Amino acid sequence: MVFLLAFLFWAFSVQAEEIRLVPESPENLGDWAKVVQAFRLYPTPSRSVRYEGPTLATQLWGDLALGQARYALLLGVTPQNAVELYVDLDRDNRISPGEKLSGTRVSGGMAWTVSLRSEPPQGSSFDYPLQILWPEGRGYLFLVGGAVRAGEFRGRRIALVDGDLDGVFGTKGDFLAVDVDGDGKIYAEPDGHERFSLNEPFTLGGESFRAEVPPDGRSLRISSAAYTPPKVPLIPGSPAPNFTFREFRTGENLSLASFRGKVVLLDFWATWCPPCMASLPGLLELYREFHAQGFEIVGVSLDESAEDLRRVIASYGIPWPIAFEGKRWDNSLANLWRVYQIPTAYLLDKQGIIRFRDLEADALRKAVSELLSEPVTLEAPAPAPSMPEVSLRPEPILELRVPKETGIQEGKAAKVSVRVINTSPYLAEEVRFSFPDLPPGWEVEVPAPFNVPAFGEREAQIQILFKDSAGKSPPAAVRLSVDYHYCIEDACFQMSQEEKLAFVLGASPERALSLPWWILALLAAGVLLSWFLFGRNLTVLSFVLVGLGVAALLFGVFWGQARQAQRIASVLCTSCVGIEEARAPTAEIPAALLSEFQNFPKTAHLMVFYTPWCKSCPYAKALVAQIASVNPRISVELIDADEKRAEAEASGVIRNGKAVVPAIVIRETGKILFGTEDLAPRILAALREIP
Amino acid sequence: MRLRYLRRGTQGLGVLLGIFGITGLGMTHLIFPGLHCYACPLAVTVCPIGLLQNLVIAGSIPFYLLGVLALYGLALGRGWCGWFCPFGTVNDLLAFRRAKFVRALSPLKILVLVGTVVAAWRLLDTWFCKLCPAASLTASLPYFALGLAQPTTPFWIHMGTLGGTVLGMVLVSRFWCRYLCPMGALLSLFNRASFLGLRIRREKCTECKRCREACPMGIDPYLEGNSSNCIKCGECVEACPHKALSLSFGFPGGSGFAPLRFPWARSGSRGISAHK
Repeated sequence: MVFLLAFLFWAFSVQAEEIRLVPESPENLGDWAKVVQAFRLYPTPSRSVRYEGPTLATQLWGDLALGQARYALLLGVTPQNAVELYVDLDRDNRISPGEKLSGTRVSGGMAWTVSLRSEPPQGSSFDYPLQILWPEGRGYLFLVGGAVRAGEFRGRRIALVDGDLDGVFGTKGDFLAVDVDGDGKIYAEPDGHERFSLNEPFTLGGESFRAEVPPDGRSLRISSAAYTPPKVPLIPGSPAPNFTFREFRTGENLSLASFRGKVVLLDFWATWCPPCMASLPGLLELYREFHAQGFEIVGVSLDESAEDLRRVIASYGIPWPIAFEGKRWDNSLANLWRVYQIPTAYLLDKQGIIRFRDLEADALRKAVSELLSEPVTLEAPAPAPSMPEVSLRPEPILELRVPKETGIQEGKAAKVSVRVINTSPYLAEEVRFSFPDLPPGWEVEVPAPFNVPAFGEREAQIQILFKDSAGKSPPAAVRLSVDYHYCIEDACFQMSQEEKLAFVLGASPERALSLPWWILALLAAGVLLSWFLFGRNLTVLSFVLVGLGVAALLFGVFWGQARQAQRIASVLCTSCVGIEEARAPTAEIPAALLSEFQNFPKTAHLMVFYTPWCKSCPYAKALVAQIASVNPRISVELIDADEKRAEAEASGVIRNGKAVVPAIVIRETGKILFGTEDLAPRILAALREIP
Repeated sequence: MRLRYLRRGTQGLGVLLGIFGITGLGMTHLIFPGLHCYACPLAVTVCPIGLLQNLVIAGSIPFYLLGVLALYGLALGRGWCGWFCPFGTVNDLLAFRRAKFVRALSPLKILVLVGTVVAAWRLLDTWFCKLCPAASLTASLPYFALGLAQPTTPFWIHMGTLGGTVLGMVLVSRFWCRYLCPMGALLSLFNRASFLGLRIRREKCTECKRCREACPMGIDPYLEGNSSNCIKCGECVEACPHKALSLSFGFPGGSGFAPLRFPWARSGSRGISAHK
């Protein structure tokens, strides 16, 4: 028995191989080795941290956790308008003048580099180099890092990246990059064939492996795994993975291979994706120009609604074949091609070899024309230059908060409140709830798709009804899937997150808390009574009133009114406190001035920040609307500074912790105009500053 | 005299809390126990009257606000006006002339409070804030200095209310607190039931009226201690030559606590509550 155990131990121990990893410069590996993450800043520090440096006109705080080490960050603007970044390097909760980082001005903002120390929960601490970028005028930073480390396994380069920038290896979001094809270059972009999440096996020369990672990332323990076919490369020079599809309008079965001999643009798109729609006219023009010479477009639509797709096809007159499954990002073709963002477009040559990806309009025209003139040869051409850089890694941006458990009773609908918090500076669009494994006998009513603004929060109600028809008890928990997409500049990403909803059978359904009016009624009655009582009776009454006061206070805090109070006080409505005049919600711009707006030659986007209780805001809104109505190049966005506080913060409308409304932000320059005095001339002057 | 020094100290703390934002701390959830504009660039606390108006406009039932105000009121009553409120301190600094309280004008502050709430409810606007002299002093002027506000009509209205109030304060001590302050009106509701109380030992009182001469609110403390117009400042306690008055924490309505002239005072002789 002992021998058997010893043999098994030996057998297992020889199967696992430990390789050492050493810190590596991301420049030697590729752009994928630099992880970029938005990092939110707040007007106040999240814990008690003292700033001991020279006076700052504006302070924005952040709390950066690298394992168990927490660093306070302070972005400050001096009275002289210089931007400074302080990091509590010695973690003594005091930020001294010596902890100021020296930064450099880069286009559109400031950049700093710093080397911090990460302290993972197990293992030894390690250096964590970070680049910190501040997009000018914004209430957040970008952290660029990943503490990439690399080693060698079976003669192939292998790298480990802290993909979630939490200072601990082996957590969700971290990934491995393995040079599986041994060409000396690792393709580990989010859709690269050499990138593997930590629970994903990788295959080298017909053998698959799985890696275990200690929290300090000093080594990898690699063991054998069941054979998994290697990922198909999607890099220029590789043959395009073939697929068959049913054409959306004709129902005809087509395959990608059937277009061999033609230059094909394989375009992944959707009608809900604004950058895709923006590129559509250009594609139509390209198609008209080159189709006769052998150019074809195959569109893979990631739409859900066939109606939307049909409408767009009809209104644009799209002539090329379209594949549609109505499954959004679950589209099998998009999965085959590992599409993680749209628009994504591959240009295939006449042999069906991937030649280019995501080309801009002019470059696309040139490439199509060149590929069309190439003779059909059986030899694969040399790989084209490497793929374009992917600057941001898609990752979940929502935080979901669900109740610990919900009581359900048969035949009675239970309400579940889910709090959806957007932790990013991007708009989460069309957030929709679904239950992928809902057992029979359950009925759910989910809210209509909604958007969650940057750093915003939404409360969504789900109604759940359990009907026990088969005499079975319900499961203790069901999976709630939350799907949404978000766009960063010209790329849109689809995300799916899951959360478990736990249930308790038999308990009464969670009831909505009714407002205890009686506390305030009793408090008022007690106060009145106190005017007529003397002696001991007054003493007793006073104690009763203290109890009622505490009850009201606690209920108010529980109800979120303390936060509401803070939010109200954090908004400075200039006309509400009489700093400025409340103006009528009609705006008359003099004709001469209006014609200057009309003739303004550049495009501009004006963001008008307001609050519902701001009395001058309707004036500002009306004025800006009038400006936009005379010039189509000027677009307007109305933003509730209270509801979209984060956006207000990001745009710099928050001053000293207060949102100053009305405020008009010129997106192109970031210039902010407060108040309503001489507003139209001030807007014109600000527009003229647009380069 | 030392009671007054102590009071100047706590009033200084009130001012410090009012400008605590200078430390870089942003707006907190705390409600200020006095009148202090939250629009002040250095404010870290919420003005109860401003919040009340906004909650009325928003249609929220103000559990948190009323709970906090009840606890403030039950702790010190209008003692906050006398011992903490920065705008009360401004009143004190300008209290050159002690005039007798005009009882007929006393309900004015209740009217201001009711009017503030009704205006917020019916006109959906924070009308009190537009006129509030505390906002003039701590928001309008600083924002004007920072270049965020222009000398427009509302600015001049603010300056007008501030000027009028300052003139009132110079002519009549604690003019704002006596007749107009809605926060004082709110706290006055709790004045009798609060744990800080003015106490009088009637056997010692000769009705010499020295306390009335000293009272910044112009009331007769030996008759009206802890009434809705008593700010429990303790000026009368200092002025009483017979030590008949004292200010102490104790059970409201209860009798017998030693005068709290100084925090380190020993408890001893029993007094009779002025509530009786």
